[in-house]
Amino acid sequence: MYARCDAAIGSRLKGGKVELMIAAAKNSEAENSALPESDEQLMLAFSRGSKDAFGELFSRYKQPLFGFFRRRVTDPEQAEELTQETFLAVLRAASRYEPSALFRTYLYAIGFKILRAHRRKAAFRATFLGAATREPVAESGTGEEVLLRHAVGKLDRIEREILLLREFEQLSYAEIAELLRLPVNTVRSRLFRARMALRDLLTAPVPKSSVSPLKPSEERI
Amino acid sequence: MNIATHPVEPEEIMAWLDGELSDAQLEAVSAHVEQCVECSKLAEQLRATSQSLSAWNVPAIPINVEQSITKAVTASDSRIRKPNLIVRASFWNRKQWAFRGGATLAVLVIVMAISVPNLLRSKAAADHAMVVAQQRAGGDRDAIRESVVPPSGPVRNGRAGGVGSVSGFAGKVPGGAMGGVLGQITGAAPGGLVITDGQDQQSKVFNDIFLPMIARTVSLSIVVKDFPAARASLDAILNHHHGYAAQLNVGTPENAPKNLVASLRIPAPELSSAIAELRALGRVENESQSGEEVTEQHADLVARLKNSRDTEDRLRAILEQRTGKITDVLQVEREIARVRGDIERMEAEQKALEHRVDFATVELQLTEEFKAEINPPAPSVSTRIHNALVAGYQNATETVLGILLFFAENGPVLLIWLAILAFPVMLVWRRYRRLSASV
Repeated sequence: MYARCDAAIGSRLKGGKVELMIAAAKNSEAENSALPESDEQLMLAFSRGSKDAFGELFSRYKQPLFGFFRRRVTDPEQAEELTQETFLAVLRAASRYEPSALFRTYLYAIGFKILRAHRRKAAFRATFLGAATREPVAESGTGEEVLLRHAVGKLDRIEREILLLREFEQLSYAEIAELLRLPVNTVRSRLFRARMALRDLLTAPVPKSSVSPLKPSEERI
Repeated sequence: MNIATHPVEPEEIMAWLDGELSDAQLEAVSAHVEQCVECSKLAEQLRATSQSLSAWNVPAIPINVEQSITKAVTASDSRIRKPNLIVRASFWNRKQWAFRGGATLAVLVIVMAISVPNLLRSKAAADHAMVVAQQRAGGDRDAIRESVVPPSGPVRNGRAGGVGSVSGFAGKVPGGAMGGVLGQITGAAPGGLVITDGQDQQSKVFNDIFLPMIARTVSLSIVVKDFPAARASLDAILNHHHGYAAQLNVGTPENAPKNLVASLRIPAPELSSAIAELRALGRVENESQSGEEVTEQHADLVARLKNSRDTEDRLRAILEQRTGKITDVLQVEREIARVRGDIERMEAEQKALEHRVDFATVELQLTEEFKAEINPPAPSVSTRIHNALVAGYQNATETVLGILLFFAENGPVLLIWLAILAFPVMLVWRRYRRLSASV
């Protein structure tokens, strides 16, 4: 699904046919899949004890969730831990699950809370206990990818978060608004601002010195 | 790009690309973008920006994470089937159970280690004391009793034998058990002065031989249904048992139960029956009994009284038989007067002590079973509102005044601390914000 999401980034932007395309993709997937249920149905089945349902949910969301954390924390190991922690939280809270929202939103809301808690703890340790955060990991990937990360890292914090949630997690404006507790119009305007800022950063000539190690505030969200 | 030249906003173009527009808006924006070069260019830029983000790839999730999560799912499968029963009950995990169980066990072991030796020591001490007591009871005591007390000595009502003996010792009531004691002691120590030398020994002999003199005190708290009837019964009980009320207070407050507080004196032999009758007056709420042993105190008093009387006799004999200067005569008379005063004081003490033993004290509290009555009507609603408003106003002014006074008193100090702490707090806060953003 993750590959499908990434591939859909381009195709999704071809205008108002997006929803139809996604729906068609879902339908085709449903036809081919052994478990044709929606995420919410799977989660309900899991809350009733179906281990297979959770297996299917896990296979659908393991990579997107790992990507969610991997793009937001510096250390890959921490991203793994947080991914694991999020799935375990879903596991623990399964009995209390109520399908009042999309499972995707529910999952990212949990992930977001865990991410915030992780940031708070790390910042507290670094501020008051003098514990250093883990050693920065060497930048990997192509030059284009590194430049992209730097550019995203320079965006305003909230705008960057909105941009990532929209582009990678593919949340709708309403879902982002719910997740970040912002008005939908604010989400839209800040997303536009983030895209414009990113466009400017990507099109502007980049001096070599700026690709050197990121400042802490520019690393990740 | 402005609204005058472009009927759609740039954000709407972005929303159009994201599929976030309604059908009506969708058509309008599509139509405009197809016609407007500038908007079409913006749309293209937005598309390109989004596509550029697809270069940010994330590696696949490590297989070990997958495995650990799968393992956790397998392990927790049974818990999910019964969420309310087990998941919520598992607030302690196995390690916590083990730790807490171990700690409890350790505490128990420590408590046992401390208390068991003490218990054993206490038991050993009790056994030893019992052996000693038995030896004394079977040996010394019997020997003393046989040598000192005639077996046929009259003993009146147990304790009363003690009283009789003391009276005999004082020379007031000849005969009785004390007659024998007096005979033995005076026989062994003519002149009686030897008693002063062996006063402690004599007291011990008294304690060992005679039954103890106990001043008993009973405290009773009784709730009665019919207060006047209970009061009458109380008087009847006192008359019947030849007792009296040393002190008695009756309270009849309005809208509250009537009560009677009395300090009664009941002859000791009749105490039990009198208490039983008092209990029958109503429901006993509280009862306590205590006894103070005054045997030694009494024996000591009797001995001192005897010495003083002997002293007085000798002084009188000196005054009658010998001649001397007038100053010597006056001095002897003064001494006689002093000794006489001592004797009278001790006699009074002795009487009081014996009275305490002969008459038990009953501290009685009678309370009427309270039946609530309808209270007089409360003040009118308007009066109550008025009072509440006045009280509220006073409270508000007091609160405001309190706040003002607090700041007037502590404001300068707070400002100083604010000035001292503001900068480091600001630094720490900035660092915290920066680090929380960077993790």
